[in-house]
Amino acid sequence: MKRQLFLALMALVGLTACGDNAEQSKVDSSVSEVAATTESLKEFKEPASVPVATPGLTPAPLKAEPIGIIKKLAVPYPENWIVAHDAAFFHFLEGKLFVIDPTAETVAEQVKGQISISFIGQFVQGTARPEMYVAETFYTRGTRGTRTDVVTIWSKEDLAPIAEIILPTKRSNTMPQRYALQLINNDKFLLVFNLTPATSVTVIDLDSREVVNEVPIPGCSLIYPTGPSGFSSICSNGGFYTVQLDQKGQVASKERIAPFFDTDKTPLFEKPAIINGIAYFPTFSGNVQPIDLNGTVPAIGELWSLTSDDEKKQGWRPGGWQLNETDDQGRMYILMHPEGYNGSHKDGGPEVWVFDVAKGQRVQRIKLENWGVSLAVTHGANPTMVVTNANMLLDVYDANSGSFQQTLSDIVMETPFVVYGAE
Amino acid sequence: MKWLDKVAEASSRKVAQRSSRRGLLKGLGGLLVGSAAFPLLPVARAAEGEKLGAPVDPGDPMQCEYWRYCAIDGFLCSCCGGTQNTCPPGTEMSPITWIGTCRNPADGRNYIISYNDCCGKTSCGNCLCTRNESDRPIYRPDKANDINWCLGTKSATYNCSTAIVVGVALDK
Repeated sequence: MKRQLFLALMALVGLTACGDNAEQSKVDSSVSEVAATTESLKEFKEPASVPVATPGLTPAPLKAEPIGIIKKLAVPYPENWIVAHDAAFFHFLEGKLFVIDPTAETVAEQVKGQISISFIGQFVQGTARPEMYVAETFYTRGTRGTRTDVVTIWSKEDLAPIAEIILPTKRSNTMPQRYALQLINNDKFLLVFNLTPATSVTVIDLDSREVVNEVPIPGCSLIYPTGPSGFSSICSNGGFYTVQLDQKGQVASKERIAPFFDTDKTPLFEKPAIINGIAYFPTFSGNVQPIDLNGTVPAIGELWSLTSDDEKKQGWRPGGWQLNETDDQGRMYILMHPEGYNGSHKDGGPEVWVFDVAKGQRVQRIKLENWGVSLAVTHGANPTMVVTNANMLLDVYDANSGSFQQTLSDIVMETPFVVYGAE
Repeated sequence: MKWLDKVAEASSRKVAQRSSRRGLLKGLGGLLVGSAAFPLLPVARAAEGEKLGAPVDPGDPMQCEYWRYCAIDGFLCSCCGGTQNTCPPGTEMSPITWIGTCRNPADGRNYIISYNDCCGKTSCGNCLCTRNESDRPIYRPDKANDINWCLGTKSATYNCSTAIVVGVALDK
């Protein structure tokens, strides 16, 4: 089949080039590009069963098909699905999120649909409502004009936008990350992190779909759900700032937690793995700082190490973009690299280490098929681990065994920096 | 391992294949050696009243390993119609930004470098360069290169990044 396609393209190109030597030379280069492209295509697979006409009978004509049918998805999504955020690093205005079944064999079975996300948007999935939320930015003239910041609410069933909430034009415009847009209080409030670079949090009441408050968080950043209806932010002085909201989204209490780390010398990653309300923040050097977010005020736990003394000597450190993840069994997964140095903290790594956080012990060491940059783990007793590799393709692993399953090489994404297990 | 090298490499592969110059890919590969690409010269400190020679700014601003880019993350304006300290035509320079401290291998001094972004047009896409020396997460915005620093400009659309010498940092 592939050869037929190639010959057909050759013939087409040959016809256009006939009788012109100069043109021929251009065409030859096109042919080689076509050949290269064709070679890189995955081997075409014939359908498993090809309908065959009944011998001796003329097949009846196909029936006219209805036009305009749009598929829907069953909600909740199966627990092994993922949502992959392609931030479109080379043209930020036009990102996308693919809903994917990473365990399926063909791209037709893998891709379930997509939603749009403009201008390095941030994303979070609802758990109490069948909705997904995107904080994004638009200009009236594309790259210029009047700016509008908006939370777009997408239906999980339709993958269609069902509502918009206009925001103050100050939402944080940073590389995509999980803690810039968060849900709290059983999805009653959606919180948007703002950075101008003065920082604040916009509070949206999702019952009324209205902005109800903007809470200043001076000197602090990001949103970590805390207590029954609050959040904490991590601060430039190495402390925390915690706010609890009342039922109207107004500030019921606020408190500063004294500095407990040095942001210059012993920095934490801003990306904790949160298990049972305890946020496990990795440090650049390979420790873990647990912080209990179950109460109205964070409780700072005891530091423990991801590495043995020998591993530390070999320079093993955590690193990557979305470098860590959790599963429903309470395990923490984290990308690790050897020979770490000042500046290697976003490099990713060749291995994922899995920890029992209650014991502070490693329970598994997964050697990756390809160098990993970001990772996600799906829900359930048999979770799937999906790793964004250095070629910006998604590699799929059985999370329990660590065995490599496949690369989703037919799904075209440029920079899928953050992947989420479907909620 | 610099994964963004691979992203940049993939995006520039077509250009490289058609070009007789392989400078871009060579430059990206150079990221792996980073500052080791420059010999560390003996530092000649100017004593009080000592006569100073002409300043030296070594390296190629179109290459990621250029000394000023030690904490940069983005598309080099030198490859986008600007230079290491000017924006491309028709863009707007962000007045606020993050800073790095980079060592000039020619004079041994550490300089404060301001990475002002150029804004108002879509991503340039050329010469992607990510180096994270002393980069910190966004809870330290002054040292964070994950933020789109097109702040305080008419449009927040990010085009490319400069690396401007602000002054000499503490001597070491």
